[in-house]
Amino acid sequence: MLRYILNRTLRSILTVVIVFVTVFMLLRFMPLNGYFTDEMLKVSDEQTRMAYLRNQGLLDPPFSQLWRFVKNLFAGDLGRSLTVYPKVPITILLCEKIPVTAAFGAASLVLGMTLGLLMGMFMARYKERLGDTLGTFYVVFVRAVPSLIYLFFIQVWVSGVLKLPLVFYEDRPESWILPTICLSLGSIAWYAIWLRRFMVDEENRDYVKFAMVKGLSKKYVLRRHLFKNAIIPIAIYLPSDILFIISGSLIIESLYAIPGTGGLLTKAIQKQDNNLVQVIVLMYAILSVLGVFLGDLLVAFVDPRIRLTEDEG
Amino acid sequence: MKRTVSLFLAIVLLASLACACQGPASDPGVQPTDGVPSGTGAGEAQPTPPEQAEPLEYVDLYKTYFTSEYPSLNYYTTVYGGVRGLAANCVEALVEPDEYGLYQPAMALSWESNEDCTVWTFHLREGVEWVDHQGNPTGMKVTAQDYVDAVRYVGDPLNGAYSLRVVRDLIEGLYDYYWGLDDIDSGTDTTTVRADLVASFDETVGVKALDEYTVQYTLSASAPYFLSLIEGSMLLLPCEYSYVTEMGEDFGIDNQHMLYCGAYYLSTFERDKKIVMTANPHYWDKDSVTIRSIEQQRLGDTMTTLEMFKRGEIDECVVESEEYSSLLGTEWEKYLAPNSFSSSTNYLWLDFGSDNPEFNAFIHNENFRKALQHSIDRESIAYLREPVTPSRLVRNTIIAETLIYDDRGVDYTDYPGLAEIKATDYYDAGKARAYMEAAVAELCDASGSILGVDAATVDMLPVAQFDVDGKLPVTLLYVGTDDEAEILMAQLLEVMIEEAIGADLIDVQLAFATGGFYSTVADPLNYDVYYDSLSVPYGDPGSQLSRLTSDGAENVGYYEVPEYDALIEQALMESDIQKRYALFAQAEAYLVNGAYVIPFISSLRGYYMTRIEPYTGPLMQFGSIKYKGMRVSAQILTADQLAAISSAYEEKKADRLSGN
Amino acid sequence: MKSETVKNMDVLLRPEKFRAAVFDRTASEEGGFSNYSYWRSTIRTFFRSKFVVFIVALIGMLILMAFLYPALSKTDPGAISTNPMTWNKRPNADHWFGTDSIGRDIWARAWYGTRNSFLLAFFIACSDVGVGTVVGALWGYNKKMDPVMIEIYNVMTNIPSTVYLVLLAYIMNTSFLTLFIAMASRGWIVEARFFRNRILSIRDSEYNVASKCLGTPMRRIVSRNIIPHIVSLIIMETALVIPYSISSEVFLSFIGIGMPVDAVTLGNIVNQGRSSFALHPYQMLLPTAILCVITIAFYVIGNKFADASDPRNHV
Repeated sequence: MLRYILNRTLRSILTVVIVFVTVFMLLRFMPLNGYFTDEMLKVSDEQTRMAYLRNQGLLDPPFSQLWRFVKNLFAGDLGRSLTVYPKVPITILLCEKIPVTAAFGAASLVLGMTLGLLMGMFMARYKERLGDTLGTFYVVFVRAVPSLIYLFFIQVWVSGVLKLPLVFYEDRPESWILPTICLSLGSIAWYAIWLRRFMVDEENRDYVKFAMVKGLSKKYVLRRHLFKNAIIPIAIYLPSDILFIISGSLIIESLYAIPGTGGLLTKAIQKQDNNLVQVIVLMYAILSVLGVFLGDLLVAFVDPRIRLTEDEG
Repeated sequence: MKRTVSLFLAIVLLASLACACQGPASDPGVQPTDGVPSGTGAGEAQPTPPEQAEPLEYVDLYKTYFTSEYPSLNYYTTVYGGVRGLAANCVEALVEPDEYGLYQPAMALSWESNEDCTVWTFHLREGVEWVDHQGNPTGMKVTAQDYVDAVRYVGDPLNGAYSLRVVRDLIEGLYDYYWGLDDIDSGTDTTTVRADLVASFDETVGVKALDEYTVQYTLSASAPYFLSLIEGSMLLLPCEYSYVTEMGEDFGIDNQHMLYCGAYYLSTFERDKKIVMTANPHYWDKDSVTIRSIEQQRLGDTMTTLEMFKRGEIDECVVESEEYSSLLGTEWEKYLAPNSFSSSTNYLWLDFGSDNPEFNAFIHNENFRKALQHSIDRESIAYLREPVTPSRLVRNTIIAETLIYDDRGVDYTDYPGLAEIKATDYYDAGKARAYMEAAVAELCDASGSILGVDAATVDMLPVAQFDVDGKLPVTLLYVGTDDEAEILMAQLLEVMIEEAIGADLIDVQLAFATGGFYSTVADPLNYDVYYDSLSVPYGDPGSQLSRLTSDGAENVGYYEVPEYDALIEQALMESDIQKRYALFAQAEAYLVNGAYVIPFISSLRGYYMTRIEPYTGPLMQFGSIKYKGMRVSAQILTADQLAAISSAYEEKKADRLSGN
Repeated sequence: MKSETVKNMDVLLRPEKFRAAVFDRTASEEGGFSNYSYWRSTIRTFFRSKFVVFIVALIGMLILMAFLYPALSKTDPGAISTNPMTWNKRPNADHWFGTDSIGRDIWARAWYGTRNSFLLAFFIACSDVGVGTVVGALWGYNKKMDPVMIEIYNVMTNIPSTVYLVLLAYIMNTSFLTLFIAMASRGWIVEARFFRNRILSIRDSEYNVASKCLGTPMRRIVSRNIIPHIVSLIIMETALVIPYSISSEVFLSFIGIGMPVDAVTLGNIVNQGRSSFALHPYQMLLPTAILCVITIAFYVIGNKFADASDPRNHV
């Protein structure tokens, strides 16, 4: 087991390094003018711009930039943002933004999982009856309709009817409600549809038929036997979901003016903020690899049938 | 009836304005309200403003919004407009405009300049202290040295000041100082020691502290407009050098890493969320500050601003033309007031070095350019932004009207040459066709082949790639951004030009660039025609016109007009205002008549609703805003009220300007 | 009793009633043969539900309309008007679904948009699933490739797509091809992993192991047991990737890496109508409705087909 974990860790680190170096090098292929906004380009001449770029260290060879970043990284310095928030230390930015997004992420994860799993169970229980159809309709609706449209509708119309604030205010708890609900709409659908699917699959298994034949009620079998088995393929994603509560939603954070991480990466890429992009990519790559790793461990832990290493069998 | 009411109202307003100017505005009878209780429905939330002419009630909290994030608060290095607004309020400039745009003392008590406006001396107010983000004095005084150090700070390439060109090229010696340092940094100059050059600043650069409270600027060219440059450029704001160097790169990353000496300080700065400006209790003119606190909150999507305004969460909102029609017939209609002015002008830029051989053959022909100039239905384009009276947006001159006045109070755009252009209605399909036919006669043979042009594939990637056949119709590539409104405008332009000139003679093709427009389209010349807007950065026609010379920074299409260059050069040397403006007007008229650039409308956008009483604060016309002296009404102002205030103001302004 | 039976048996089993059978290789293989055909059963099960018939008919009509309308109608979806009076018209006899903010006919735009988006989505689905199947099959069968492929998969799914999309947009013009490359550049690896997992599990599943032990040649296992399963998966995945591609085109347009903005696609129509949504909701009605129908229909078809292709659901 220890060997497995060690092996896995090394490979995870390799993945992260490859991802990071690839992105780091790709960023250095971006055009030099991309470091400036149109306003800056208009008010400055070529020489002034080159002077600026040189002073920012952007004209150094990519490998020396990489080396500098790695050296600073191990000294605990993530560098400063270049264009999105010029000169602002990235550590400060992340410390400001992550808590807000994580709070929303956690709330919506709890909400999405609770409602989604309940809904999935309900749909499986009443398979091919009205409840199932309604649930399927919800899932399909959330997936089919462009989210921009119903999110905007919720923000303006629902907030008007329920007398809730249009945007998020930290000091007004009621303003947290709508963004959280909006954030969890998708995950409710996701949990519901997959739990339903896995439960329906499990229903055809012999042990379920056996339990039913022995006279256990459907409700009891569903809850005591079926749910536990059906939840395992979902549980594998739980660590990733928990880790990724720190990545916000671009559209929802923009609509509700939430000062979080949503859209930070997109914005940084579009504005060619190399320093910010590489830190965020590094962070997300670590989280994602870690999430998959923890997911496997979790499943092996909760499901004794699963063995991670082949040679142990 | 309505007229008399509004007149009466205007008189009352003016009276109250006069009162407010004399004494402290915090009337004990006026209770600060928190606006409308939040979360209530739009319908009952708004108390209807009284129709009778009662004096307005004021509140001392102003709630507004911003849409794009504040990148940094360092006003020397940030070009973002919002930061200019903050800096103008938080850091006191030497002078400030009054409500008519005339300059009055701010940090400087008095000033004088020499005969040809190349040496400006300012005598500063004594005893003003820098305060921190809690409004506590820091013990550091604002002195003449702080104004000198501002120039020292921006003059060092390592500090990365943007929009530096005007100041760098104007202040004596600063240009050489800046490039001297840059040569050392880039390794071109290895003989000079950086510290030595930095130490030479006080001798070589034309800004000096004559004593603790007297600062003198020596300029390399005549600058009668220098006071408006102080208003328009953030780079001349004072800088407490010991503090700024101590902060280093941290200067301006948030409100705690800054110092304040203006009417307000930043008491709250939540990045991307909320900024609160609080009145500075140690401000030299604190009695004129009527709004105690200004809250700016971020709204990520402009679509929500109208709704936020309706719910009373913000005190002012822009109403786009589409929203305008949805408000007609509702209770909000009476508040819809037209935006009155924008100093920014929209131009069509023409590419004189185009890779498209057909267009390149034609663009150097004046008749062709005039055909384009006459083919654009300005009102139809303006309709996209202002559906009621689109003609308000039409602008044929480069410099905006009612912006720059000479010492007699005459508007620069009424000078000979420009007055005629201003009065011309350029859209005329018949003329456009006639000019085009004239151009065709000169440039094509009888069979419709363009002389000297062969079939070719035009490569303007990543923007566009297309084939031309060297025959009529002339292919013209119009490039726009992927912004929705601009797509509509481009498509409209295409139809318009082809209808006026005739599709047999011109074929407009459209392309839309994503990402940075300047770097993908304008700079690499990947266009034949595009549209852009420019606003006047300070109160001199030369601020704009000198950028449009053959080697000027804004001449993105690389036309060559030596006659224009000569006139501009002459005008820039002239220190007599009237002669100077006459020369500029002559040059501008030359450029527009030759259709080297085609100004067509102003950047004015639709309508607004507000609680701010207009013309109560300093009239800042060059990109920033000062809240000092401004008053926020407890009620939304109706369009009638605003119109009355505006007409009374215009009368008064005309008096003041001509009286000077 | 017993002897009577034996006697009867003797009568019944008289030698002259028997004939030596000729050894027939084909016949000997046909143990337990029925006239069961996998595909016929799948299709019969699929169409048994009236709802599915309705959905298939609906999507068929929609696609037919999307391809016939541009071919037959004379209305130009890009035809704009310089007369402001014809802008933002409500639905009327000339313009069944009104006009947009520059006088273009929404009815025509919606059909052109449907055709273009559908074509794009179809190509992307084919490339994703096509490349995905081939790579997935190789990946599943070649154990040596596995660690390398998993590494490639991890790296590719971890690099934010915006990074290379922005780079791509910088290198290439916004066009049908760019968008196709942008969208197809990563889908295949996800599909490949999916197929690799399925192939592994089918290959090692007990009935195939059993079949192998009984001496069934690999060729037969592949053609009879694996291919049908994979083909049904391919059809299902294609059906699911199509609506996904259409909606991600909407998103790409939102972040500015979509089709050329004057191209008529559902993504562009929805994005451009977004800002006027609050004021002229009717402008969004038709494009959104079509988008929903396509997404829902393909989703339902994909899932129902997956059910129908499961032999356990065959009767």
